[in-house]
Amino acid sequence: MGYKNTNGLQKRLEKQYLLLVIPGFVIFTIGIIIPTILAFRFSLTSWNGLTPDKPFVGLKNYVTLFNDSNFLQSWWFTIKFTIGNTIIQNVLALLFAVALDSGIKAQKIYRTVLFIPCLISSVIVGFIWLKMYSNVLPEINEWLGTNINFLLFGSGETVLSGLLIANNWQWIGYWMLIYLAGLQSIPAELYEAAKVDGAGAVSRFFNITIPMLAPSITICVVGITTGSLKVYDLLVSSTGGGPGRSSTSVILQIYNTAIGARQFGYGSAMSVTLVFALLLVALVQVKTLKSREVQQ
Amino acid sequence: MKRSKDNTETNSTPYTKSTLITQVIMTIVAVVFILPIFVVFNYSFKTKKELYLTNALTLPSSIQFENYKKAFEKLNLTTTFTNTFLYTAIAVIILAILCSATAWAIARSKGKFFKFCYIYFIIGILIPFQALFLPIYIIGANLNLTNTRFGIIFMYIATAISFGVFLMTSFMSTVPIELEEAARIDGCNVFRTYFTVVLPLLKPAMATLIIMQAFQIWNDYMLASLYVSKKELKTLTVVIQSLFSAQASDYTTAMAAIVISVLPIAVLFLSLQKYFIKGMTVGAVKG
Repeated sequence: MGYKNTNGLQKRLEKQYLLLVIPGFVIFTIGIIIPTILAFRFSLTSWNGLTPDKPFVGLKNYVTLFNDSNFLQSWWFTIKFTIGNTIIQNVLALLFAVALDSGIKAQKIYRTVLFIPCLISSVIVGFIWLKMYSNVLPEINEWLGTNINFLLFGSGETVLSGLLIANNWQWIGYWMLIYLAGLQSIPAELYEAAKVDGAGAVSRFFNITIPMLAPSITICVVGITTGSLKVYDLLVSSTGGGPGRSSTSVILQIYNTAIGARQFGYGSAMSVTLVFALLLVALVQVKTLKSREVQQ
Repeated sequence: MKRSKDNTETNSTPYTKSTLITQVIMTIVAVVFILPIFVVFNYSFKTKKELYLTNALTLPSSIQFENYKKAFEKLNLTTTFTNTFLYTAIAVIILAILCSATAWAIARSKGKFFKFCYIYFIIGILIPFQALFLPIYIIGANLNLTNTRFGIIFMYIATAISFGVFLMTSFMSTVPIELEEAARIDGCNVFRTYFTVVLPLLKPAMATLIIMQAFQIWNDYMLASLYVSKKELKTLTVVIQSLFSAQASDYTTAMAAIVISVLPIAVLFLSLQKYFIKGMTVGAVKG
């Protein structure tokens, strides 16, 4: 019957396809889309998370946000952390990838060694570096008789560098692998042609490698930026947001506000700002980086 | 056109000045990178006495597994390990089937609803669930998903589905439509076609998705700490985190716990490296 009437067949097929899509659709809607809508709804209330009624307060939470020094400070820390990571991680990951691709021996061993830290949970990475700074690295001072301050988590001035080191140690290998795959897909003929034309190593790097890597650069920049803006796990076991509030990220601040201080409505407003910021950053970055890709 | 992935053929070539310098620099880098991992291993074999009396790099006087035994008890390891393993394994297997079926159905159907579905799922990649942990917790509490195995697995699937559909869609060109048509003429319905024709062809894609998500879920802290408070349902990361704060001074046990938790995922990665790299770069290749 279906074979005679292709229209009917297509209809029947569409119904069956629908059955394949629906489970995922429902799970995704319940797990992600509804929470997104709820965050918006809660953000317009002064709900404490316990009472059944959620008093509507309009945009009051958002107005308060802009005068909340703790919230602004958490954003400032998160931005510094993100910018630091985006620059250091991209540059080092790319340099290491180029170094590994330059014909050195035992490339696979280096690749694996640099990659392993990213397999470790961020909570554990935080703890490892806590112990590195407090118990392991100070011994260098004993050997060398120097007086370098390794207690990076100990003061508000150094905590950011300490966390940047930990985060870069964890993720450089991951992004390096993406750059490495990108490098290995550049045709060798391009380099040979440039060599014939008399281009030096630096010129080849900037005129062939970088433009040809544009898609990888997009992936890495967007990945590192959005990942850093969401930092939370790393802080839980290392600094806990301290000393003082100096390393409290936006998500940690949401946690402290909503769970610690029982201000669910206000915390939700913070969540909404973060969701918007992340969407905006990702879209702007993809757009500018993509337009560069097209030009080249 | 691609250059060889591993430079086996260059292994016999003699060093030039620049590759020699690069080799030395990268060796130093590698040593710096491996140092924290060495320290963790080293501490995990030290006695409490050695912890205080020797420095971080001195090897333990003898290999003893006392810390591992202690970690085993403190972590309630049989239970937590089984939990983490079950959550991870079930979630990734369901994800692999669900995402491949969804991506395939979206690719093959012509209806407008399916086009909408694709965009709907892809938007999810841009929505950070970490920023939404409050409503995710509320919805879990209201639907009785918290403190259940089903609930935490459900959330792991929900938070990974967007990426999974995206990844699977990019592999869809590896499924030739002719084979499906042949199966349909043989009288297979969509489901049988999926399981007998499509699923076997998508195995490499599923391996990629499985290994990428396995490592995320295994290491997850936020969702696990949010959804599970019952002792018998907790995961490794959550229990290890509480061990960190409880054992701040005698951290040899914590170090052994770290080794226990990292080892399985490291072995999985080292044996399935090629799929992992494929998954990481799929976006980069697609552009």
